[in-house]
Amino acid sequence: MQHSYIDKYAGLDSFLHGLDPRAKVIVSFIFIFAVVLSNPTAYLSFALYGLALLILLAVSKVPSSFVFKKTLIVIPFVALVALSIPFMKGKDGLALFTGILIKSYLSIFCMTMLTSTTKFPRLLKAMERMKVPSIFIMIMSFMYRYLFVLIDEFHRMQRARDSRSLGRVGRWDTVKVLSNIIGVLFVRSYERAERVYLSMCSRGFNGEIKTLD
Amino acid sequence: MHIPDGFLAVNTWAPAWVISVSGLGYCIRRVSGALKDKMIPLMGVMAAFIFAGQMLNFPVVAGTSGHLLGGVLAAVLLGPYAGAIVIAVVLTIQCLVFQDGGLTALGANIFNMSFVGAMGGYMIYNLIRKAIGSEKGILAGTAVAAWASVVLASSVCAVQLAISGTSPLRLALPAMALVHMLIGIGEAVISVLVVGFVLKTRPDLIYNKEDA
Repeated sequence: MQHSYIDKYAGLDSFLHGLDPRAKVIVSFIFIFAVVLSNPTAYLSFALYGLALLILLAVSKVPSSFVFKKTLIVIPFVALVALSIPFMKGKDGLALFTGILIKSYLSIFCMTMLTSTTKFPRLLKAMERMKVPSIFIMIMSFMYRYLFVLIDEFHRMQRARDSRSLGRVGRWDTVKVLSNIIGVLFVRSYERAERVYLSMCSRGFNGEIKTLD
Repeated sequence: MHIPDGFLAVNTWAPAWVISVSGLGYCIRRVSGALKDKMIPLMGVMAAFIFAGQMLNFPVVAGTSGHLLGGVLAAVLLGPYAGAIVIAVVLTIQCLVFQDGGLTALGANIFNMSFVGAMGGYMIYNLIRKAIGSEKGILAGTAVAAWASVVLASSVCAVQLAISGTSPLRLALPAMALVHMLIGIGEAVISVLVVGFVLKTRPDLIYNKEDA
C-alpha cells in the first residue's frame, strides 16, 4: 500500500496539527467566506489575509512547495476569465480579474492548510460534531476507508495488464482494456459493498455507527 | 470543471447551495427508502469506485490524456438518485481533501455534476433506452447521455459564471461548450465500454434493467 498523497502532511507534529479540528474547520470556513465576500479591490485586506496564511504555513512545518503546487489547480478557470477581460463593458476587467485570482488563491491556500494539518477521519469527526447530517459523514467515512482498498485493487489489475501486454499496444486496445478494468473494478466494488453490509448486519448494525472517540 | 472559490458571486453560489442541499436531501430519502441500511456501505464504496475510476488516465492524442468523469456511468449503474449522491460525495471529498473545487462553489459544482450531469444524463439515457429497447438501447442511451451530460454541465457552469459577472455569456458559453464537446466524446466512449462490460458480466447490476 502506498498512498500518502491523501492528507499527506496531516501526520506532522506542530501547534496547528494539535489544535481541535472543530476550531480549524470553523476558522477556515469563516476565513473563506470573508475572502469570497470582500470587495475585489480590497488589496490591503488581501495582503493581510495572505500574511496570516504565510505565518500559519511557517508554524505548521508543511513544506511550502507542496502548498504552492496545490494552489496551481485554479489555472484553467483563470485562463477563461483572463480571456474575458477585453469583453467586459463598462467594468474594469483587469481589476475584476486580479480580484478573482487573489480570492481563489487565498481560499485554496486556506483549504490546503486545513487539510494538511488535520487528518481526514478527524476532520469528519469534527464535521459530525458540528451537526453535518450523519448519513453524509458515514458515507464519506466508508468512502475514505475503501478508497485505498480499491486503488490497491486497481494497481494490481494494472500490473497484471502490464505483465501480459508486451511490446506496442494500440491506442484503441489500451482504451478497451482500461475500460474493462473499470468494469471489473465496479463489479468487485459492488460485491465488496454487499459483503461489507452483510458483515455489518451480522455485528448488529442498525443504521447507526458507534465509535469510541 | 470544478469551479474554485472566488469565481462565483453570492447571488449564484448561495442559491446553488440551497438547491443542492435540498436536492440531496430528497435523493437520500428516495434511496434510503429503497435500500434501507444497506445504502450507507453501498454508497460509500461506490463513491470510492467512481473516485478510483477517475484516476485512470486514458491516452487521447499526441501525449495528452483524459479521464472518466463518471456522472452518467454512476446513474446508469446505480440509478439517478444514488448516482447523484455518489457524485456529490466524490465532489465533497475532492473539495475538502484535494482543493479541487471551492468550498463556497461546492453547491454549484454539485448542482452541475450531480443534478445536471448525472440526473439530467439519466433522463436522456432513459428516454433513448425506452425508445430503442434491449441492450442496444442501453448502450446507445449511455453514449448520448454521457456526451450530453458533459456538454450540459459545462454550459450550466458557463451560465453561472455569467450570472456572477465573472465571464460574459457570449464568450464563456461557446468556449466551455466547445471544449467539452470534445471531452464528451471520450466520456461517451469510456462509459459505453464500461457499461458494455458490465452488461456482459453482471447484467443484473445495471439499474432497472428489466424496465427496458
